[in-house]
Amino acid sequence: MLNRMRPEDQPRIRSEVSGRLFDRVLEQTKSGDHHRLAEVINDNLYHELERLRRGDCDGDPGADKSFYMDLRRKLPHASDSQQQTMLRTLLDRFVSEICGNFDERVYRASTRFMPLALGGLLTGLSPGRLLDGLDVQGSLDRHVVIDGDVEQVHRLNELGTLVFAPTHVSNLDSIILGYTFHRMDLPPAIYGAGLNLFTNRLVGYFMRNLGAYTVDRRKTAPLYKRCLKEYATATLEMGYNNLFFPGGTRCRNGAVETQLKKGLLGTSIGAYRNQITAGADKGRIFIIPVNLSFPLVLEAATLIREHLKRSGRARYIIVDDEFSRARRWFDFMRGLVSMDARIHVTFGAALDPFGNDLNENGESLDPTGRVIDPARYLYVDGKPATDTKRDMEYTRMASSRLVARYRQNNVALETHALAFACLELYRRNAAESDLYRFLRSLGPEMSLNMEEVEQVLEQLTDELQTLEAAGQIRCADAIREGDVDTIIRRGLRSFGTYHTTAVLERRGVRIHLGDTNLLFYYRNRLEGYGLLGAPNLLEGDTIA
Amino acid sequence: MTGRITVLGAGSWGCTVAHLIAQNGHPVQLWCRRADQADEINSKHTNARYLGDFPLHEGVQATTDLESVLYDVPLVFMIVPVKSFRSVCSQAAPLFAPEQYVVHGSKGIEAETFCRMSEVIEQETCIRQYGVLAGPNIATEIIAGKPAGAVIASRFPRVVKASQDALVSDRFRIYNNDDVLGVELAGALKNIVAIASGLCTAFDLGENARALLITRGLSEIARVGVSLGADPLTFSGVAGAGDLIVTCMSPHSRNHRVGVALAQGKKLDAIIQDLGMVAEGVSTTRVVHQIIEERKIDAPLLDGMYQVIEGTLDPTEAVAYFMTLAARQDIDQALR
Repeated sequence: MLNRMRPEDQPRIRSEVSGRLFDRVLEQTKSGDHHRLAEVINDNLYHELERLRRGDCDGDPGADKSFYMDLRRKLPHASDSQQQTMLRTLLDRFVSEICGNFDERVYRASTRFMPLALGGLLTGLSPGRLLDGLDVQGSLDRHVVIDGDVEQVHRLNELGTLVFAPTHVSNLDSIILGYTFHRMDLPPAIYGAGLNLFTNRLVGYFMRNLGAYTVDRRKTAPLYKRCLKEYATATLEMGYNNLFFPGGTRCRNGAVETQLKKGLLGTSIGAYRNQITAGADKGRIFIIPVNLSFPLVLEAATLIREHLKRSGRARYIIVDDEFSRARRWFDFMRGLVSMDARIHVTFGAALDPFGNDLNENGESLDPTGRVIDPARYLYVDGKPATDTKRDMEYTRMASSRLVARYRQNNVALETHALAFACLELYRRNAAESDLYRFLRSLGPEMSLNMEEVEQVLEQLTDELQTLEAAGQIRCADAIREGDVDTIIRRGLRSFGTYHTTAVLERRGVRIHLGDTNLLFYYRNRLEGYGLLGAPNLLEGDTIA
Repeated sequence: MTGRITVLGAGSWGCTVAHLIAQNGHPVQLWCRRADQADEINSKHTNARYLGDFPLHEGVQATTDLESVLYDVPLVFMIVPVKSFRSVCSQAAPLFAPEQYVVHGSKGIEAETFCRMSEVIEQETCIRQYGVLAGPNIATEIIAGKPAGAVIASRFPRVVKASQDALVSDRFRIYNNDDVLGVELAGALKNIVAIASGLCTAFDLGENARALLITRGLSEIARVGVSLGADPLTFSGVAGAGDLIVTCMSPHSRNHRVGVALAQGKKLDAIIQDLGMVAEGVSTTRVVHQIIEERKIDAPLLDGMYQVIEGTLDPTEAVAYFMTLAARQDIDQALR
């Protein structure tokens, strides 16, 4: 089942994306409300040339630069038809970069060896041992737990096209999801992956063959961004499942996302609208919320450092993190396997593109449980109409429902609970009220009495169990059973396994703090549930 | 869809909105809970309980049949008291269609859930394209044909346009805003200051004191609003300062009347009973008090009014309490 886009669809999608945008840009430039065509072209050339001037490119920028400079020289003298040709050239170039070059031989080889190789990749095994016939699949199956509304995913996959919308913790997410789809016997989902992820060549190979297309976040040209969105829209319309990370980037602070980017998520309404206006009886696009819950996170140290520097949000692309270092990756995966730790992939109840619940037949429901026709959200004067602002609002509303699903399907793991309890104990005894000063005031010399930790964990597990019973969170088995000893043992073992410095460490009857930032990072996964009466530390700069 | 417009709720403001729509030549249906009220509106064109002898436009057709007024109607105004807003929403929910626009005109926050009315609409119905109507709107003045204006806040431009088409006349202006949260909070919170203004009137403190009350009240309202995510500038607009001024100045305001009665030493239950109508400020005061406590917002005026409503601060002492508060910066830096 590990196949990517059907070879015959590749050129069709390219020409569809390029053609649609060509028509739309021409229409807009003729309407008088927008810039003239020459201005549109010039603006995009400016963005590209500026990017090259900044050196935001791979390899020698010479060829790219001369291509864009040539267009810029010709633009002032170009006739209307020549300007249209230039527009077409630009669009074709962008679309081609996004789609990449399809090689059928690579494709065939990938589909044959992918499952085995992917298993090895994720468990950190060498190719040699893989060929020895090790039970890679069985090992992975134990460490990646697929739970939640799995049946619904299968059912909806038969009924329409799926948009998987996962939380984003690590660059491993897309690979874990690729593996999950394979294990569930689902077709792979198409997704946009930042170019930086392809710098690890081995990973890049797998990513491409798991359905990834390239997104160069350094490119700011408006037409490039429109090509990306239109590519996602067109593939959805043609029935290819897509995978978007609505958070946009890996969550820096470790918490479950509360703010989502609307751009790519909005393509589900665009594709749905195109299906309806093209005369489809029913548009069938479903949003599947997915929570990825890791006991340890490969890039945690880099991510939380970026968050605390507060430049993390501005510095969008991190290229030098643990993901780009193969050794760290293998250490991480080996650690997970040796600890018998589990990564949870949890499917939440699906939504329609407007954020409505669905019944088992994939029909949209209003809050009373009545079946409604979602196409009617697009009606103006009795028929479907395009209205970008309206659809952006619909997407915003769907996003807030997606965020609610993320909270409900977050799996509280032992590391999260232990970190939350310990940081709360430190907070209660803190002399500082400023968050950042408080975090700086903590150090290796600080320790907690084990008995005290156990007491707080008992209260925390009680509260988590109550929340789980109310459907507001999910819990790891040890938390559900209130097994504080196991929570501490597993938590400490995990914290001592992968990170350069153990996050927490037991010495006699006391727990010592090793890495404050990481303690804060793992604790944040349980932020916002009102646990232990602790304030939300991510809302302001205070711990009071 | 037909060109009909529906108004749910036949209180003073609901009737006035229906009257304005009918004056503009649009067919309008007014949904009432009580059959005798519908009969009175249809036969005598009055709503004596809420609007005395003011004549309603003859084009206003009243009914108690919810299904008929919601079927195939593109625009619905929902102007029912906050207390019954959710139950009307859930009654109407199976009758709404996804493409309909709903504009509510209820100024308050739900006591049990802290929800604004737009949140209730989202929670109870399939409606996504909604807006809120707010502003300095004393119903009896508008129905008497005096000039006035209001705001429609919606994030959907078509909702604003449809509402303007229904309501705008040479006597009634509609401004637009996309800050639904801010407009809803401004409309709800000003009622608390209006109760304080009633104390001002009853104790004959003069217009200087009232102006001080209004401006400091506005500052506190904006502080609460901004902490909940509203745009600070909304509070200086028609739905903010505009509504606050009229509610505090006009003796017609129900909340103002509550304040006067409290100053006269009457009990709250008796005041509400005498009023015969809903004064949203009373329940909003309690809700806002909790928000202030939880979010640690500096709002001594709103907090003082909570104590007056709860009976823990005597109205005669309230004035001294307000006048001895520490004087801070005139313009709150957080609102810049």
